[in-house]
Amino acid sequence: MTRSVWKGPFVDAYVLKKAEASRESGRNEVIKIWSRRSTILPQFVGLTFGVYNGQKHVPVLVSEDMIGQKFGEYSPTRTYYGHAADKKAKRK
Amino acid sequence: MSDMICVGVIGGAFGVNGEVRIKSYTADPEAIEDYAPLQTEDGSKTFDIQITRGVKQGFAARLSDVRTKEEADALKGVRLFAPRDRLPNLPDDEYYHADLIGLSVYDTGGQLIGKVRNVLNHGASDILEIAIDGKSGTTLLPFTLAAVPTVDLTAGRIVADPPDGLFDDE
Repeated sequence: MTRSVWKGPFVDAYVLKKAEASRESGRNEVIKIWSRRSTILPQFVGLTFGVYNGQKHVPVLVSEDMIGQKFGEYSPTRTYYGHAADKKAKRK
Repeated sequence: MSDMICVGVIGGAFGVNGEVRIKSYTADPEAIEDYAPLQTEDGSKTFDIQITRGVKQGFAARLSDVRTKEEADALKGVRLFAPRDRLPNLPDDEYYHADLIGLSVYDTGGQLIGKVRNVLNHGASDILEIAIDGKSGTTLLPFTLAAVPTVDLTAGRIVADPPDGLFDDE
């Protein structure tokens, strides 16, 4: 069942506080969070969160197309490496 | 940077007419055909490859000089390699994973941090997995212009300016 619209998106309060503090300080830092269930809000765009996957904090640079998803979706809890072959990485 | 890149593996025979089952490791699975002729790891055999159809977990393909099911079965588990220089050139700020893996990572002060072990992407941005020098663990560094200002493939080094708190729990 989908979440009722009147409740608004769920975000753990400490995530909001940490994000706000980081944005105000203007420092280049990874915001460590354990809340995989929190929704990504528009004010998080451009910040880098370290989302805990049970073992380590996976850096997640938030972009506009991630709004509305949960942090946990970008920090997998199981390891799969695959093969490099001709796969490409882009510096953003 | 290695000269040969593994682009797939032979899974054994497919059918009884000498076709093989191929598992492709390329970003676009069908692109394995574009890198032909492919070599075995020791370079002793070279194959032209022609994909005939898609099958479960890969492709059925016909390899040059493989005519029978027995010949195809004998190749089970053989990995297929293509020369690195056969990959097309990329625009600025875009790199092949194979080129990044193994590069040394230095901080902005010239201190060695470690080596790139893997390149990951979980849907957000690309991430470098770095094996820290002198430690058993790895750490994850976002592959962004801010965190990785310099990538020098010819010198085999990356200069990283990691965000605060990234190496705290290593």
